[in-house]
Amino acid sequence: MTHTTKDRAVHPAALLYAEEVKTGHMSRREFLTRSTALGVSAGVAYGLIGLPVPARAQDAAMTPVEGGTLRMSMELRPTKDPRTWDWSEYANFGRGWLDYMVEYEPDGSLRPMLLESWEANEDATEWTLKVRQGVKWNNGDDFTAEDVVNNIKRWCDGTVEGNSMAGRMDTLRDVEGTNQMRDGAVEIVDPATVKLHLSAPDIAIVTNMADYPAAVVHQSYDNGDPAANPIGTGAWLPEQNEVGVKQVLVRNPDHTWWGTAVYGGPYLDRIEYIDYGTDPAAVLAAAESGEIDAIYGTTPDFVEIYDGLGWAKSEAVTATTVAIRFQQAAEPYNNRDVRRALQQAVDNAVVLELGYNNLGLVAENHHVCPIHPEYAEVHRPPVDPAAAKAALDAAGVGDFEFELISVDDQYESASCDAVAAQCRDAGINVKRTVLPGSTFWNDWTKYPWSCTLWNMRPLGVQVLNLAYKAGAAWNETSFNNPDFEALLAQANSIADADARREVMAKIEQVLLDEGVAIQPYWRSLIRHTATNVHGADVHPTFEHHHYKWWMEPVN
Amino acid sequence: MLMFIARRLLTMLGTAICLTFLVFWLTNLAPNLEKIAKTEAGSRITDAEVESWLDKNGFGQPLLVRYGEWLGVLPGWTTTDESGAVRGRCIASGQDPAEAPRFCGILQGDWGYSRVFREDVASVIGTRLALTGKLMAWVLVVMVPGALILGILAGMREGSRTDRVLSTASIAITATPEYVSGVVFIAVFTSSAVGLKWFNGSATSAMDDANLVNFTLPVLTVALYAMGYVARMTRASMTEVMTAQYIRTARLKGVSFPQVVLRHALRNALIAPFTVIMLQIPWLLTGVVIVESLFNYKGFGWTLVEAAGNNDIELLLGISVVSVVVVLLTQLISDVGYVYLNPRLRLS
Repeated sequence: MTHTTKDRAVHPAALLYAEEVKTGHMSRREFLTRSTALGVSAGVAYGLIGLPVPARAQDAAMTPVEGGTLRMSMELRPTKDPRTWDWSEYANFGRGWLDYMVEYEPDGSLRPMLLESWEANEDATEWTLKVRQGVKWNNGDDFTAEDVVNNIKRWCDGTVEGNSMAGRMDTLRDVEGTNQMRDGAVEIVDPATVKLHLSAPDIAIVTNMADYPAAVVHQSYDNGDPAANPIGTGAWLPEQNEVGVKQVLVRNPDHTWWGTAVYGGPYLDRIEYIDYGTDPAAVLAAAESGEIDAIYGTTPDFVEIYDGLGWAKSEAVTATTVAIRFQQAAEPYNNRDVRRALQQAVDNAVVLELGYNNLGLVAENHHVCPIHPEYAEVHRPPVDPAAAKAALDAAGVGDFEFELISVDDQYESASCDAVAAQCRDAGINVKRTVLPGSTFWNDWTKYPWSCTLWNMRPLGVQVLNLAYKAGAAWNETSFNNPDFEALLAQANSIADADARREVMAKIEQVLLDEGVAIQPYWRSLIRHTATNVHGADVHPTFEHHHYKWWMEPVN
Repeated sequence: MLMFIARRLLTMLGTAICLTFLVFWLTNLAPNLEKIAKTEAGSRITDAEVESWLDKNGFGQPLLVRYGEWLGVLPGWTTTDESGAVRGRCIASGQDPAEAPRFCGILQGDWGYSRVFREDVASVIGTRLALTGKLMAWVLVVMVPGALILGILAGMREGSRTDRVLSTASIAITATPEYVSGVVFIAVFTSSAVGLKWFNGSATSAMDDANLVNFTLPVLTVALYAMGYVARMTRASMTEVMTAQYIRTARLKGVSFPQVVLRHALRNALIAPFTVIMLQIPWLLTGVVIVESLFNYKGFGWTLVEAAGNNDIELLLGISVVSVVVVLLTQLISDVGYVYLNPRLRLS
């Protein structure tokens, strides 16, 4: 599992990180994320901190079995251009035939996929990407450096409506001018090597390529329905693609998947995704009926029930969260005092307990998680319902009826109910509106006060870049604060954890001062599978790594 | 008779036009169109961009004109964008505009495109209606004999203990809506909590392969509700026939009771239930909406919910047309069948 040649020097920052781990300044997980992001292989990274590479538990105990059909519940959405994917489910179907440059592993490390290795210079402004050799597209073409550049160019195209990859590639783009990839930003050194010249230090550029909209497509792809002409490097092909009903992946018999030689797998012949809507009771009925072998995710109220069915549980601690955010473009949330007062009325610990059965960590309203490397502790104003009410009265909205909108998914709805109930206890008039998923997500950035699900990103700056940077595609709060912008740009360029933490403390303080959202808790993700399903443990960012999945035949 | 059928078909056409126009008007209200523009072109676009998107995609024209386009009596819209490419309602992507037909409405057999399912409306409705047809067929197979037997047994001897018991039972099941009985069935017969686990609480697998385990509960939920009602009607009709003079005469002549019921009473008693059963079919179609959503059986009712939830205009219109046809066709069959069953009406 070594992907960087042993005799090449390890990135100096990784050595520093290793020191920090040894002295207890950095957690092991954080170390793995950061050092593998700099191009150090997982094996070497574990070695630097004196640990062996952990074998997956099942590898030790059992040999994977070839074949079989795995059926999993999942909400099924129409296939569209990968860079505009705004929901993990799009990607999980697309992953059948589209691979990624790199893959984020549940332990926090980055696994080289279509890139064989990568290396950053000292200040993370120049990156050398090595393209994996011997990879074939399923139409017979070779995967080359041209393909890497083609995909980076696609990601950089900010003129495409809803292309969230553009925000992740800012240091490669001409942001002010053409809104496209900068001339000279990407250089093909030889057919196996690509060099990135960044406009500013960016520690997350390769990590960003693991995010789910970064599926790697063929040069002939026409930006339409990717399942219509499924050219990819992946091991499966889409067989059935019925939105809201069923999506099926079948093993491509005429294609040798590059990963078999490198990582083993794939094992399954068929993967069937079946849509049961947003009601977890419907999924439970399906599980009890034997219609599915695994569920997408277990909602907290159902954990004990699935345990009772004898299904196997996997759990991942994550920085996945809900942001009950205020749209600052809307009345009365354009008033900072109103936002802060509403935050002040809510005890996040209560929301975690009532909304998510205490399966997670209490969060602090600034959307940076303790598992992020640069997390800094900042002082949070105490919960004070009386003061909250007084502040609202002072702002002239004492009698205003606040409307809190959520989707009908269970815990999001329950969390909002817990928030609304606490506000009402404080004497604040709050109305709850619950919308079905099909309606809610059409307008999720528009609602004045609503609840949004945010998946985790490996680094704390990543989600801030996506959700709170002015003009970002997913900025749902209309947050536009010059101090924040300047500090975030600064944080994005600091590779060192401790140095960045100092800036992060200021960023967190700005977010708290501005009252961007009630962000009550960090979720643990849970998935239950039938006992004969292996390798399909829940992933912290909901990724489905199909090639790891296998099933014991049932007698 | 032919005149009668022709008149009925004309009524059907008129109703379909009125209803679809109503649906068209409601789904094309300004906020609904704005929602469509935002789903299609991104949720963050400005009001001006919404306007321009709507104009570019044919939504800018007057309501009646667009309705005419959908019907196929007016030519479909076309626009020429900045790059000079011509797009239009009737021009498929990649098709040469010169070759595209001018008209493309339901008169030309083009039902439009479903935005939710990313498929032609005709094929969505075809697939989903077939699935609901399967459900309805089994519902009728269970309901019709069940209801008739219950009604006849109860109506044979009015006021007897059998009558009281069966009447109470049929009133009880009719008074229980599908969303109650369905949930009770799932709780009792499928969950590990009660432990019976005789059936599946989800009918998704029944779409491909229906069997006793996965299809019983949805069928039963719809059937029971209608069964009670039809049984009550059959009973009423049966008791009326049983008090008729020719029945008394037959009894006095010494014909045995079973003979009286089967030979003399039954045919006359079945006229009323026949009409009720036919009228029950459109009613069942609404029950199907609930049951299909409850059991995740992706048929016509489920499609209606999805289409309505997402303001999928052309799919909703297609569904309306199909609904009108189903309702009026079953009424037509019921009227014609009534005439056939009752010779007195045939003569008049």
